[in-house]
Amino acid sequence: MNWIDLSSNAFTGAFFLYCAAFICYAIAVAGKRWSNRDPQSHTARWGRIGFIAAIIAWALHLVFFFARWKVQGHIPTSNMYEFMTFLAMAIMFAFIVVYLIYRNSLLGAFALPLVIIIVAYASVFPSEVQPLNPALNSIWLRVHVTTAALGEAFFAVGFAAALMQLIRVVDTERPDKAASRIFTEFSLSVIIIILGFLVAVFGFRGAGYEASFSQEKVEIADDGTVNTEVNEVVYSLPPIVAPYNSETIAFDSFLGIDKPLFEAPSWMNGVNAGRKLNTVIWSVITGLIIYGLLRLLARKPLYAVIKPHLMDIDADDLEEISYRAIAIGFPVFTLGALIFAMIWAEIAWSRFWGWDPKEVWALVTWLFYSAYLHLRLSRGWQGTRSAWLAVIGFLVVMFTLIGVNLVIAGLHSYAGVS
Amino acid sequence: MLIQNTKCECGHQNPVGTVLCESCGKPLFEEAAGAADAPLEMRYDGVARRSQKQNPQLVDRVWNFFSSVKIAIYLIILTLIGAAIGTIFQQESTFINMTTDEEFAKYYKETYGTAGVIYHALGLSHTYESWWFRGLLVMIGASLVICSLDRVLPLYRALNKQQIRKHLQFITRQQVTYSGPVAGDATAWVDSFKQQLKRRGYRVHQDGTALLAEKNRFSRWGPYINHIGLILFLLAVLGRSVPAWHMDQYLALYEGETRQIPNTNYYLKNEDFTLELYDESELASNQKGKAVPKLFETKATMYECVDACNDPTRDPVLKQVEQHPIQVNSPLSYGDLKIYQNSYQARVRFISVNVTLTDTVTGKAYGTFTLKADNPDRVYEVGPYTLRLNDYFPDFGLDSESRPMTKTRDPNNPAFAFTIKGPELLPDGETYLYFPMPNEESKAYQAILNDYYVKNGQSSGKFVFKVENAMSGGKMVNVTFSEYTTFLNIRKDLAMPYIWVGAAISMIGLIMGFYWQHRRVWLRIDDGTLSLGAHTNKNSYGLRADVAWALAKAGIEVPPKSLDNRRNLR
Repeated sequence: MNWIDLSSNAFTGAFFLYCAAFICYAIAVAGKRWSNRDPQSHTARWGRIGFIAAIIAWALHLVFFFARWKVQGHIPTSNMYEFMTFLAMAIMFAFIVVYLIYRNSLLGAFALPLVIIIVAYASVFPSEVQPLNPALNSIWLRVHVTTAALGEAFFAVGFAAALMQLIRVVDTERPDKAASRIFTEFSLSVIIIILGFLVAVFGFRGAGYEASFSQEKVEIADDGTVNTEVNEVVYSLPPIVAPYNSETIAFDSFLGIDKPLFEAPSWMNGVNAGRKLNTVIWSVITGLIIYGLLRLLARKPLYAVIKPHLMDIDADDLEEISYRAIAIGFPVFTLGALIFAMIWAEIAWSRFWGWDPKEVWALVTWLFYSAYLHLRLSRGWQGTRSAWLAVIGFLVVMFTLIGVNLVIAGLHSYAGVS
Repeated sequence: MLIQNTKCECGHQNPVGTVLCESCGKPLFEEAAGAADAPLEMRYDGVARRSQKQNPQLVDRVWNFFSSVKIAIYLIILTLIGAAIGTIFQQESTFINMTTDEEFAKYYKETYGTAGVIYHALGLSHTYESWWFRGLLVMIGASLVICSLDRVLPLYRALNKQQIRKHLQFITRQQVTYSGPVAGDATAWVDSFKQQLKRRGYRVHQDGTALLAEKNRFSRWGPYINHIGLILFLLAVLGRSVPAWHMDQYLALYEGETRQIPNTNYYLKNEDFTLELYDESELASNQKGKAVPKLFETKATMYECVDACNDPTRDPVLKQVEQHPIQVNSPLSYGDLKIYQNSYQARVRFISVNVTLTDTVTGKAYGTFTLKADNPDRVYEVGPYTLRLNDYFPDFGLDSESRPMTKTRDPNNPAFAFTIKGPELLPDGETYLYFPMPNEESKAYQAILNDYYVKNGQSSGKFVFKVENAMSGGKMVNVTFSEYTTFLNIRKDLAMPYIWVGAAISMIGLIMGFYWQHRRVWLRIDDGTLSLGAHTNKNSYGLRADVAWALAKAGIEVPPKSLDNRRNLR
């Protein structure tokens, strides 16, 4: 077996073991009241099995990482696929650290789905080994990207604990607490929509679906000459939205639809904007279908399904875990995403700060968590409110990592997304 | 005017604004702390701050405004929103080829439509240079200074003169508490408990049956050290607007070109530019057939002018000072200057050609001379003939009246006009035009114009200009040209050391504040009853573990969680 096969097999193995670990944690949480067992020893036992599975999965994930590093000769954090797999690995590391401090194995029931979703999301991007862009050929690719991802990983664990806390304390009865119920359910449905995205992408990819368009782009160059560029845009999901200013080349019919329903607006002029909009629409549709099926099965809101299983975890413990994870992550994030980033930018781009969208959003993330840490100084902002901030903070992190690359193009756009 | 009595029952006179007596810790304001048995507000140990002064003057009001953490949070949130808005559309500063406001207005209108017009009109297209964004940063700076000073000095005083025996209410209303009977000699028990805490790294002070244990007090200074670093950082950022501290310019150099770095005494030469591409076999499947650069590098030499620098009649005397292959991640650095690889352009540029003056009829070569694209020599001696360069058109073209002119100053299509004098030639000399570029258009011009000179009696048509052995072994030997023009960015930034020092200080503060926690334990034994209170600013989980461990060693087994005062109240 050569290194590249070893790497990809280890990755597949890690993915399935993460899923297995999650199932163990789910049994640990949900199976407490199964007959013939003592709830405490049941939770401890399955929690331990889950943790061991997660550790083995993480070890395989490390094998994937280092084998790939050996194959391509540079650290595998140079494109979206590699970065996302690294982020998942970092989240597992952060989870293990927090677990070793607090020994709260049920945190795994929320941290592992996050890892699984991110690993699956990484697999949406092309996984092929690519040669390194000269701009990335620097020791700072190793230093900056890894520390920034590690800081973000602790924020992710803080998010997982905060979400648990929110579900744990959500009031299912009082009419004046309807808003908090709606927001909690909404958070869960957003996660389901991300799941919907993955189901749609891998479903149609498995079925080999393809449609393509030729898109005409008119650009006015520096010297005033008008350049017309025609690009082929390939869709792997049935096109509901066609790219702006495009003609259909090929279109596999899906459910009798054989032409796009409408065209993307002109201001969506990013790279492949039409295709991305189409993917978002499909994600929402698939996500809502999955959500609807889950609601039909459960016959109650999802938070109400999960909440009873969390009742014997202390909400204060969760709050403490969430805050601590963020407090551990904050200096790491500052160092990796801002200071190391500035050092690299100074070396490579001749300025330590240039208001590039990715830089700005790293700053926005940092300012957000600064505000979180200062707000926690006052009493009224501890508990549920700070849990909401931890959830929103992680959304900001994810937008910085993915949204900026997908929606706003900038200097970091070479961290290739397709 | 309301006169507050701030004297505590222990006899200590506290300043106005004190929440917990500076000496014994007794809560002075019940209404501030909520319910009578609720955990105490332990921020800054309950000491009075300058911002709580009575009868504020204008200066005090400004101080009070910036000393508020609430205001600081508002400033952070506003800056955050402002920064995010700046990323909605591309900022003006990213367009190198546009400068005027009309150009920008047009661009935003054409690219983003109505939203773009509004964005530009509101000045959001230059968010980060706007007065309000800069203002927010300055206000954050003010807030950092004032918030820190307002708190750190009183906190320092409070922590520096702590009393060991605290008021009972102070102890029982801490976040971590324990209370229970202790059998036997109280002082002996305190002695043994003291030893346990010492083993956990606490510094312990004992006053008979009362005890104060403390560790990692230094972590309390973490936030303030972080703020000092941030202030220094912000000041350094402001310092970058001092013109003499800052330089940012671009230089385009073709291969072999030497140029002065504007406004300096330095010259830069592009010795050679190399572009390496990845092999087809190294590329991923979606990159096949594309030219993917592996490395690009400018071999650069830097010179300093040592003589005749500002003398237009003489060439400057240059002394080599530095040589470095400049790559994206590896700038040339000399003194305060740094030279970065910005980009490159594949642009063939003619440098020089070795031309042979040949007889049209016999094909006899009279001699070879070198023509340069930049600053060509005026006179050439070739065999028995003298060639005088009358006119030079680097980028040849015809104007509206069909007269020869040059379109640009770049040698895109050079034409050399000579007057040749010598034996057997017309007495006034003969006129010839030479185009070195081997394209059809320029060769046609050359033929037409030289024929015209013959017909006009200005030339006998005796000579033809030739380049011998243009190709030899796959290389052009008698022609030199540059394949690439490199774009270098020249930077000077004297504020950088302060930026890095600020960032480092800030980082040290963050690590101190987040990875260590200040923990304190107070206890007293009154009539066989132990009252223990403990406080930390972060990680009360770890504090509870410490206290439960020490209690267990001293013979009192309690689960750590039961020590949590906040939880027990719920």
